Amino acid sequence: MIPLGTKAGPVASPFSPDQQKRFQEGFAKAVAKYPPERRRAALLPALHLAQDELGWLSEPAMAYVGSLLDVPPVRVREVATFYTMYHLEPVGRHHIGVCNSISCWSMGAPLILEHCAQKLGIHPGETTRDGVFSLEEVACLAACGAAPAVLVNNFTYVEGVTPQSIDQLIDRLRGEPGKTMAP
Amino acid sequence: MAGPRILTVDWDQPDSFALETYKASGGYTALPKALKRKPQEIVDEVVKSNLRGRGGAGFPTGMKWNFVRKETSFPKYLVVNADEGEPGTFKDREILMMSPHMFVEGTIIGCYAIDCHLTYVYCRGEFRDSAMQRLQAAIDEAYQAGYLGKNILKSGFDLEMHAVFGAGAYICGEETALLESLEGRKGYPRLKPPFPANAGGGLFKQPTAVNNVETLANLPAIVNLGGDEFSKIGLVPKNGGTRLFAVSGHVKKTGVFEAPMGISFKALLDEYCGGMREGSTLKAIIPGGSSSAIMTAAEADWASDFDTLKAKKTMAGSGAVVYLDQSVNMAHALANVMRFYAHESCGQCTPCREGTAWLSRLLDKIVAGQGEKTDVDNVHQIARQMEMKTICALADGAAMPAKSYIEKFRADFDALVRG
Repeated sequence: MIPLGTKAGPVASPFSPDQQKRFQEGFAKAVAKYPPERRRAALLPALHLAQDELGWLSEPAMAYVGSLLDVPPVRVREVATFYTMYHLEPVGRHHIGVCNSISCWSMGAPLILEHCAQKLGIHPGETTRDGVFSLEEVACLAACGAAPAVLVNNFTYVEGVTPQSIDQLIDRLRGEPGKTMAP
Repeated sequence: MAGPRILTVDWDQPDSFALETYKASGGYTALPKALKRKPQEIVDEVVKSNLRGRGGAGFPTGMKWNFVRKETSFPKYLVVNADEGEPGTFKDREILMMSPHMFVEGTIIGCYAIDCHLTYVYCRGEFRDSAMQRLQAAIDEAYQAGYLGKNILKSGFDLEMHAVFGAGAYICGEETALLESLEGRKGYPRLKPPFPANAGGGLFKQPTAVNNVETLANLPAIVNLGGDEFSKIGLVPKNGGTRLFAVSGHVKKTGVFEAPMGISFKALLDEYCGGMREGSTLKAIIPGGSSSAIMTAAEADWASDFDTLKAKKTMAGSGAVVYLDQSVNMAHALANVMRFYAHESCGQCTPCREGTAWLSRLLDKIVAGQGEKTDVDNVHQIARQMEMKTICALADGAAMPAKSYIEKFRADFDALVRG
């Protein structure tokens, strides 16, 4: 039997040296926001930082983040699966989220989603075969005044979209590198 | 636009978010005044101001702060709810983008009032690179200017402010789910009591005031005008100040409009939004986010304050107003709303987890033309049975539209079903 309070051994980092450096800097800042005895509270930002580097949250990444904060793997998994911004499998270099909630819906969001699906040749929830684009429906983005709204790569708002403007957006993104090191 | 402007006073200026712009219009004059008074006096002014929580519940802010003040356990926290996610709502994002310093000043005053020295602003994750970046810049400037940190303006009051962000979950806008998330866990709402204001119920189990962004942005005006004057701005009793209405849907001009508390939905539409768009006739109004009960066009003269709408069995909620026109079939609209709740139910309580999913399946069947009359009756019946049976209000927020859309627009449903 494993006695209570037993610590797991050190877990190998999933990052390259460059990634490790950026992660470490962000991690130190995130942990500093909480009282020392509450550093586990930094789990959400730490997972974000890992995803920023890797593009998604692999098992080794989750295990590593958990080991830094002394959070058991099951708790890390619980958090990673609860929140929609964490990707539990690799996604395209560019992730396109089309809002599907009431204000955007009333202003034609379903047409935008269908247009994206046709242009990219995938269904919502899928990634193009070349790994460049993922398409997803997302819940209300708090951008209802300029509906329909689209969220690119989790953090960039594109508002008041039309089929023409989304075409331009997709064409532009195709030539751009992703923000993260896609696997 | 008509009416007093408190929160949007700088919004016509291109750099409204800059510290200089805010100071030029009287920014950071309330803070030194507040710091010269006793914290309890600030809370007393807030009680007199009739400021009600702008996140959705409309709870009197001063009363909430008195609950926290009464607690003897320290430290105490103020946590700001910037997890804006109620469908239709986009006014807190606008405050953070346009007037982050007004919000920061208000939050500092709020912390002083409840004796808090560490405050967190919990932004929804999607805001990280836009609204939260503006906020972080304002926080950094406030530290440099001596409005945050140790011995603020030589008053002896210390305060640290941190902006943090979530990772995508509507439920984290519920205050206890937000606290769970802030502590690094999944956002399961907590069973109350203890309430967040009480020892054992707040952040890290300490007494905590959880306040909305817009609520706190009103604090400088309350200190400068005095509670009584602020209260008089509202058009109805017990609803002080102005409100930011986030208007979307089929109107000529969408956006965030500042109007006195209690303005009617007709006046908001005609005087601020330029009426319905070309060729549109008003059919329905969502008065306070998608969780609120729907209103018909004939009810557009209702006042928009918390008490009037509660008496009319709907709610002022988050101030998100969606005007829908004749092109919308309300069964389709409800199917859309219900997909949202089925997706966002955290799954902790059975009536909500199963109920929202069941309602969504039935409504999808109805709008696909596969439904029967009994399916419509069942939607109404299931919604009634979900109410008041769960830890948080998400289930009630799904039941309210389900019941009211059917009660007020039954013909739209009957047109799609057999029998």
